[in-house]
Amino acid sequence: MPRRGDAAAVSFEPNAYIRIEANGAVTLWITRSEMGQGVRTNLAATLADELDVDLSRVTLQQAMPGSRFTGIRLRTSGSGSSSATFLALRRAAAAAREMLVAAAASRWSVSPGSCHSELGRVTHRASGRDLSYGELVEAAGAQPVPQKPQLKSPAEWRYIAKPIRRIDARQIAMGAAVYGLDARPANALVAVIQRCPHLDGKLRRFDATRIPGVSHVVPVTSGIFPGVAVVADTTWTAMKGCDALTVEWERGPQSSFDSTRHMEALLAATAQDGYPIRCDGDVPASLALAETHLEAVYEYPFQAHAPVEPMNCAADVKPDRCEVWASTQAPETAYQNAIQKLGLPADAVQVNTTLSGGGFGRRLFVDYVDEAVELSQAIGKPVQVVWRREDDMRNGFFHPASVEKLSAALGGGKIAAWQHKSVGSDLSMFGLPTAEEKRDPQHYAKNEDPWGAYDTPYNFAALQVDYVPVDSPVPTGAWRAVEYPSRVFARESFLDEVAHAFGQDPLQLRIDLLQPGDVLTLGSQKIDRARMIRVLETARAQFAWKQPFAVPGRLAGKGLALNIYDADSYMIQIAEVSSSLTGSDLKIHRILCAFDCGLAINPAGLEGQVESGITWGLSATLHGKIDFRNGVAQQTGYHDFQVMRMNEMPAIETLIVPSDARPGGFGEHPVAPVAPAVANAIFAATGRRLRKLPLSLA
Amino acid sequence: MPRITFSVNSKSHTIDAAGDMPLLWVLRDLLGLKGTKYGCGMGVCGACTVLEGQTAVRSCQIALADAAGKTYTTIEGLSARGDHPCQRAWIDEDVSQCGYCQGGMILTAAALLARKQQPSDAEIDEAMSNSVCRCGTYNRMRRAIHRAAKGARA
Repeated sequence: MPRRGDAAAVSFEPNAYIRIEANGAVTLWITRSEMGQGVRTNLAATLADELDVDLSRVTLQQAMPGSRFTGIRLRTSGSGSSSATFLALRRAAAAAREMLVAAAASRWSVSPGSCHSELGRVTHRASGRDLSYGELVEAAGAQPVPQKPQLKSPAEWRYIAKPIRRIDARQIAMGAAVYGLDARPANALVAVIQRCPHLDGKLRRFDATRIPGVSHVVPVTSGIFPGVAVVADTTWTAMKGCDALTVEWERGPQSSFDSTRHMEALLAATAQDGYPIRCDGDVPASLALAETHLEAVYEYPFQAHAPVEPMNCAADVKPDRCEVWASTQAPETAYQNAIQKLGLPADAVQVNTTLSGGGFGRRLFVDYVDEAVELSQAIGKPVQVVWRREDDMRNGFFHPASVEKLSAALGGGKIAAWQHKSVGSDLSMFGLPTAEEKRDPQHYAKNEDPWGAYDTPYNFAALQVDYVPVDSPVPTGAWRAVEYPSRVFARESFLDEVAHAFGQDPLQLRIDLLQPGDVLTLGSQKIDRARMIRVLETARAQFAWKQPFAVPGRLAGKGLALNIYDADSYMIQIAEVSSSLTGSDLKIHRILCAFDCGLAINPAGLEGQVESGITWGLSATLHGKIDFRNGVAQQTGYHDFQVMRMNEMPAIETLIVPSDARPGGFGEHPVAPVAPAVANAIFAATGRRLRKLPLSLA
Repeated sequence: MPRITFSVNSKSHTIDAAGDMPLLWVLRDLLGLKGTKYGCGMGVCGACTVLEGQTAVRSCQIALADAAGKTYTTIEGLSARGDHPCQRAWIDEDVSQCGYCQGGMILTAAALLARKQQPSDAEIDEAMSNSVCRCGTYNRMRRAIHRAAKGARA
């Protein structure tokens, strides 16, 4: 709710987002974390339009948990940082603009309706008078806050829906942008933590005698893995000290976890019934009548986030206060955890959110903040905890491995029944279901899980989706696109298998299966099949889908996949690939991406997110996997957890299908369709159906 | 401890620290130049890239003792106002997303253009493919390098 401005102040702060000073300076508080998705740029552009100021004059501040932002979400997840803030910020800015206009009108004794705002000024054209916003701050603060401010119409937008380049680009290019690792207070020490290398471990003992240059050696228990922190005055001394530290760990019953055996367990669990997720139509009857049955099983390995900025956090805990500096997607959690742990009043804790060197879901959990707070309290000094790359790879949490079993009953040239059994592990970082929840057969269906299977958009005559949870000691949590990638890989690959079994065009088959273009209501979601059809038809024409992809002297083909993200973002991707005549290598030439995500707040930003999400998806499609042997994650860096590099990149083309629907989430959306589009293209090119990620033609 | 003298961004520094301390941590922890980023400490990701003379090197792989007498440029010193052709091209092509790796990328590109005025795509691949951008800005970086090459010729 907007607050009434303070008439006595020299600045005008009608609400938590905005401050205008007497010199005309405009400050916008950014209420979500910037991690590359462009939220700072998008929100600044939104404010500039609705407040009617020059975008280049807007100064940005990062919101902090605390009373100013009560009731405003600061957590950055679910692809909603720009789209979910859009309307609230427009209302806040429009209210501020109307108060400035009302203040000017009152001074001139004219009606507000006869005054106009224009780039930081209010004018009364009839009399030729005008005043700057700065000159009006005091009077505007005395105006009542309008409850229903009039938003600008799209025709009046200068910035919204226009391509706006990244607002931080110059700072970044000059090396001046400040990330968590750069935000260490000058007097802080540095800690590097030797963490238990295996799952389900406990600290037995450590020997900290004779580590030169090290000021403290302290156990730390608040992370995901237990550890012993080595504290020194520089990062290098702490790293060397950490290497010199001898620690004995105790192995728990789950500490010999092996990911190959786990994959076998997932495959075996496809025989179990699991939890019913969806059951549309008469599946048993349709199965009985069908002429042929197709079945396929798809495998998806554990994945790591591996953002280039490793986890880190600085904390300064004093007896009566605590300040934290962190690149985090969840500042409120960091704040609440510190308040709780330290027993301090809320206003004695300050969490400063910096830019993030990549988030991708990893920074939704604040284990590394908790470690820094615990350690600073223990040693009574400000300290920055720095994770090494190998810590980041092994001691965080992971994207869970999963198996999808798909089957279709075919009859009369149609899909009579479609069954999708998803086998995976619950995301333990979000909290595992209670015993009571586990007893409820509808527990997962009520939560609309698993994404990509639950929200299967197709209009099958009969559809059955089941979920089989398999326990695992591996800490698992959000990863870019969360539950979608493995399910969409399977669903869209299998539909391609069915299309080929029928000899049908896979794009036309999808359009047919989305008929009659109605709205499919599933729990909280309303999936608009007509929007998806429009995207498919646009892509078919604009991307010349029917034209074969050929490369002289090589096997070549194209494949496609679609996904609907959270019922508000509709996407198709087409991959063009080739392989040698012996089918021994793989080159991805181009990925074409068309989508309707509602109003495109910043088309330039969306294009960047398409490239980013596709690259992320390609890393998982071609390279990514984490193996556990004897409880230890085997990969320790970018040398053995390969991610895409420039020389492997396909060309990427983006087509935004215009839409006036409300803006939908986007940052994660391009990830999931990549793997099936590529796998389907490989089949088109080589006749080989690959059902296991990372895809390998070897 | 040895006293090591070297130049960073046209300023001479004499450092009294462990000879095995990587230049990365000397720059960040002792000289306060935080534009040089830590990504892996193994020389694999390229986030810590600086220029030694005109050559791109990984500062996490250079021990302080080996820096003696050398001349380095970090991203903060590439230009006074952010107007090096690569920096301008990076901004014009809207390359950066999270931006964390980009200082290292820009310096790698600057070193490439210093030895090859008009690099081909293959030469760009060779120079840039040892560096990691998890946000996936690779295609834009390629465009920015071509743009910077054109700008330098003009």
